[in-house]
Amino acid sequence: MKRVLAAALAVLATPALAADLDICVEGAYPPFSETTASGEVVGFDVDIANALCATMGKSCTLVQSEWDGIIPALIENKCDAIIASMSITEDRKKVIDFSEKYYQTPAKFIAAKDAGLEDTPAGLAGKVVGVQRGTTHQQFMEGEFADVELRLYGTQDEAYLDLQSGRIDAIVADSVAMSQGFLATEAGEGYAFFGKDYSIPKYHGEGAGIGVRQSDTELRDAFTKAIEAIRADGSYDAIARKYFDFDIYGAGT
Amino acid sequence: MSALIEYAPLLGQGAMVTIALALLSLVLATVLGALGAAAKIGGHWTADWTARGYTTVVRGVPDLVLIMLIYFGGQRLINTAATALGFDGGIEISKFAAGVFAIGFIYGAYLTETFRGAWAAVPKGQGEAAQALGLGRLARIRLVMIPQLVRFAISGYSNVWMVLVKSTAVVSVIGLADLVGLADKAGKSTRQQFWFYLAVLLVYLLITIVSERVLERVRARVNRGIPA
Repeated sequence: MKRVLAAALAVLATPALAADLDICVEGAYPPFSETTASGEVVGFDVDIANALCATMGKSCTLVQSEWDGIIPALIENKCDAIIASMSITEDRKKVIDFSEKYYQTPAKFIAAKDAGLEDTPAGLAGKVVGVQRGTTHQQFMEGEFADVELRLYGTQDEAYLDLQSGRIDAIVADSVAMSQGFLATEAGEGYAFFGKDYSIPKYHGEGAGIGVRQSDTELRDAFTKAIEAIRADGSYDAIARKYFDFDIYGAGT
Repeated sequence: MSALIEYAPLLGQGAMVTIALALLSLVLATVLGALGAAAKIGGHWTADWTARGYTTVVRGVPDLVLIMLIYFGGQRLINTAATALGFDGGIEISKFAAGVFAIGFIYGAYLTETFRGAWAAVPKGQGEAAQALGLGRLARIRLVMIPQLVRFAISGYSNVWMVLVKSTAVVSVIGLADLVGLADKAGKSTRQQFWFYLAVLLVYLLITIVSERVLERVRARVNRGIPA
């Protein structure tokens, strides 16, 4: 009991740490950010955060935050930047500012390994493609593959089940979600990606950026520059290779 | 399952945070509840109206909203005040302190009602008899009213404690590393949420079972000499 109280008091009395930058991270979105058994947050986001801080010559402290409270935490100065796989969206831009993207997971098609499909309107003619209803992927299919028959699902898992039972020939969705959620699992054996990586801003947005307060334009530009720097000196690729077997940065710059 | 064993020490730390949070919140809630009840029973009309406002607002607002408001809104208030006074950087509200304050503040309102009800349940004649015996106001409260009030309050108090323990789960939303917050992150990191939530369920059940035992003893103690 005494120890608990002492610990509690220590927590109460913790002053704000004197670091150059406090970075809000999340810790529940593997492989980008996950919590280890010792309570540390590790993952792609964290490695990128450390690399960016090193490039900017700042000492950074990671602040563990809950996803639901991460934007308020930034706005109320609990941290100076969010590096938590946050997609750059118009709604979020109303309250915070973003650096340029530091990654963009492309959308991809999957199908049975031996299906021999091609990601062209002709290659998919007469085939049935499954997508999750109301997603960017549905808009993408309707825009780019208007003649291909679509089957809409409430969840991604239902689409996987129908792919396995042969009701549909292919699925288009976020590549990392499918790689982690299906292809890497037992159920996903015998299935693979095919075709190009798709990240078309009109459908798929601008990717994940580093969130900063709207008043911190200097910090925002510093992050954008640091992202370019680690892209150029190869440290970005070294980090990305640890986690992904494809180009996580996505097309364009 | 094996992941659960690997993360057990982390969950243990989380459980300690949860228990410390619950106990400190209960202390704060008890103090606020006593003040609130005193204000409603014998206070000046301003105290009475303040206490009424407190219980009406707090009991009508979801816990989650109040916690967010205190942690983020309170921080904004401090930041604004600090900037206005010319300080820079400001003072940081710790997550733990915000959690204790929020939960204590919320359950203080419920305890105000519990204590006020218990006070009303003590027969009027008791206070009058004590007065007739020549006891002063404070002695009357301390020796005659409080021992009987506790007897009437203990059931409601136990109830508030049970609910309070479980509502500590809500503070994980501000990123406090309590049992629920840590288990949620560990579950998602290992993709074994089911096992982690099951463990959380068992820990909470354990806390409430132990509390029930303890409170049962307290109840027997404050009721001693009174036929059931």
